[in-house]
Amino acid sequence: MPIIEVDDLSKVFRLNQKEPGLRGAFKALFKPNYTDKVAVDHLSFSVDPGEIVGYIGVNGAGKSTTIKMLTGILAPSGGAVRVLGRDPHSQRVANARDIGVVFGQRTQLWWDLALIESLNLIAKIYEVEPARYKQLLDQFSETLELDELLKVPVRQMSLGQKMRAELAATLIHEPKVVYLDEPTIGLDVMVKERIREFIKQQNREKQTTVILTTHDLGDIEELCQRVIIIDAGKVIYDGPISTIKDRFGKYRTITFETGSASTAGLALPDGTELVANEPRKLVVRFDRTRTTASQVAGALMEQADVVDFSLAEPDLESIIKQIYSGALREEVAV
Amino acid sequence: MRSLRRYWRVYSAFAANAVKLMMAYSVWFWVELLGQIFMLIIFVYFWKAVYANTETVSGMRAAETLNYILIAQIVAPLVRWSLILDIGGAIRQGTVAIEFTRPVDFQARWYVEWTSQMLFQAIRLALPLGAVAMICFGLRLPADPAVWGYFIVSFLLGNAVLFCFDWAFACLAFYTTEAWGLHILREGVAAFFSGALLPLQMLPGWLQKGAAFLPFGQALNAPVSILTGITPVSQAPAVIGTQLIWLVGLFLFSRFFFGVASRKVTVQGG
Amino acid sequence: MRKLKRYASLYWLFLLQRFKVLMEYRVNFLIGASSTIFIQAASLMTVWVVMGQVPSLNGWTIDEIFMIYGLLTLAKSINHMFADNLWTLGHEYIRPGGFDRFLVRPINPLFHLLADRFCHDGIGNFLVGLVLVMRGFENLSIPWSLGNIAYLVLAVLAGGSIFIALNLITCVTSFWIMNSVPVTLAVFQTHEFTKYPLNIYGKMIGVAMTWLIPYGLASYYPASYLLGRDVGYMAWAMVPVAAVLLAAGYRFWLFGLKHYGGTGS
Repeated sequence: MPIIEVDDLSKVFRLNQKEPGLRGAFKALFKPNYTDKVAVDHLSFSVDPGEIVGYIGVNGAGKSTTIKMLTGILAPSGGAVRVLGRDPHSQRVANARDIGVVFGQRTQLWWDLALIESLNLIAKIYEVEPARYKQLLDQFSETLELDELLKVPVRQMSLGQKMRAELAATLIHEPKVVYLDEPTIGLDVMVKERIREFIKQQNREKQTTVILTTHDLGDIEELCQRVIIIDAGKVIYDGPISTIKDRFGKYRTITFETGSASTAGLALPDGTELVANEPRKLVVRFDRTRTTASQVAGALMEQADVVDFSLAEPDLESIIKQIYSGALREEVAV
Repeated sequence: MRSLRRYWRVYSAFAANAVKLMMAYSVWFWVELLGQIFMLIIFVYFWKAVYANTETVSGMRAAETLNYILIAQIVAPLVRWSLILDIGGAIRQGTVAIEFTRPVDFQARWYVEWTSQMLFQAIRLALPLGAVAMICFGLRLPADPAVWGYFIVSFLLGNAVLFCFDWAFACLAFYTTEAWGLHILREGVAAFFSGALLPLQMLPGWLQKGAAFLPFGQALNAPVSILTGITPVSQAPAVIGTQLIWLVGLFLFSRFFFGVASRKVTVQGG
Repeated sequence: MRKLKRYASLYWLFLLQRFKVLMEYRVNFLIGASSTIFIQAASLMTVWVVMGQVPSLNGWTIDEIFMIYGLLTLAKSINHMFADNLWTLGHEYIRPGGFDRFLVRPINPLFHLLADRFCHDGIGNFLVGLVLVMRGFENLSIPWSLGNIAYLVLAVLAGGSIFIALNLITCVTSFWIMNSVPVTLAVFQTHEFTKYPLNIYGKMIGVAMTWLIPYGLASYYPASYLLGRDVGYMAWAMVPVAAVLLAAGYRFWLFGLKHYGGTGS
């Protein structure tokens, strides 16, 4: 049975366009000028217990709106969300006991309190049993290397220290579902590695379900068995990482090394595009649904003095980059 | 001459920016105006009730006192408004270090900004308040241009005195960790000893002596007394002379103290 | 009952942590806690100087005026100490996004907001009010009877609740508007009227401060009652009014919360 069920979920924001100043405020109050913005558009997916799912998309694609509906902060405007069988918005408090959330750069720890004091307070808020709390604190201190941090107030911590502390605070009540928004952003390689290791360990030992939004390819490759890509509020991909390449690696590039300097007036086959034209070097990108590598290579060899050529496989990194730069949008639309 | 024009250009740009910043908070303005009108009402009724049983208080008649209080309350927001939080905040956040690198005098720049904001406030808040006071509470203003002239000079001098005092006082933020307490302390003491709540002439002798040792009266009681005629025109030059002495003294002290206090920080590296 | 106990112990913990932080900056704590004393001192000294020269203000002696002032300041201090964080709802929680954190925790978000910051600046107000009221009891020979003490506690708690409820109602507008502080301030600053006997003002202001923005119920009427002036059932009006306003405020809060769930801003 899935732990998270999202069924035909939509969220439409009504924005009241306001003019600046007092007059604008009054006008907005009495003669509002509404525009609707669809943030999440008939979204459906489900997540099984113990899965680590990468939830990715451009800024504004609807990622954080979805997360806010999953955590109960926002109410859906259409469709339904179930987390552990509950409606997270109407049963917000019950839901809150079973989930943990890391909101990117915004810490949940008290700025001026020593970490241990913050953790004590959070344990009380979540009613963690004292014996269990002690046990977990020892465990976390070891895996996240918190020992020397426990007495330090958050305001004095580095970015990496803050995120380690944040993860401990988020998982101290052993939530069944954890939402992590950019947990490794801005961190150095060592800290990233430690954090990924910790997330993996929690997932392995406690079957914690993790929903992860990230720009970091390393996070996705190391943690996620499955990726959901959304764009303009819709799911455009839901499946394992391995098949992303097939789905989105539509374009390939061939780099030609040419003997002669002049390559003017080339005729290229359909679905092909000249990306770079330098002396002794040509880069051609082609759509593999419309033409093939051999056709492109053949056509060019006839017209230019080709010394060597190489075919580049689409790599995951460039696909993720494309997703985040919004380039996928046009590609999917074709 | 050319350098003077350069200074004018530089400082007028700062002044214009400060005014623009104030314009943005229009809702604030209405609420502040409302609050000031409330205070006018409270004071008028309070003093009316005081004079219901007596002809004079400390030799001042009802009409005279009411007139003083109305003007004092119109001017009061300008005195209450200190730059301690701003300077103290800049000191705390270390942005003062950036100020040192600019090619304009730090204190002069703040003075220009502060005064232009203050004058802007004065016009924006004092005009409607004055209108309310005249229509609803019978505020009387003098017709003699000499009185107005002395008032304006005395008002500007008084505010410069206050600026220098605040500047020196805010430098304590180099030593304490927060400017908030300094700000509140200054607000409370100034509210009473500036004469915003009652004419300083009404204080018992020992308190009047105390008030004379503080600069706050120079900023409010002095100009308002000139405008209401409590200080006759013939004595106005003497009042302005006193203000000048205050100004020179506090100016020198504020420069000196800022130098000492800021050196402490640069030596310690913040 | 279990819930109440849980919230009480949680509040205690929040308070303890808050004091630990405050003690780290001891000088600031002392300045903050005493700061309001300076501001109150200015008004009090004004009353003192003026009342030294006239016997009474519309039939109220200086001791009686200080009693009114003291009761109001005590009520205000309850709000200042325990509910000051309401002011910051818009600019420190909703707009920067921190309010979301309250919504993913298994406790009441309003409780969380209030518990998040006990305001030590209110301690000064509390002390000023306490001294004024105790001074009034002594100087005006009001007996320290159990009944009077109980009435005093009730009046201060109800008066404090009126302050809290009115601030809650105006602060909840943060769920809709960018900056609710001016709105809150506009209502809050009317309490200045009720530091002095309401009968010195015209009838309109008296009625407004009793029924429209009922801060007067926290000072003028309880003081009258304690001083043995007959104000009839008005001596008790602060209790039902506080209850109704608190209930209305909480309803409005829930409504604001619902709106937040719709827009997230």
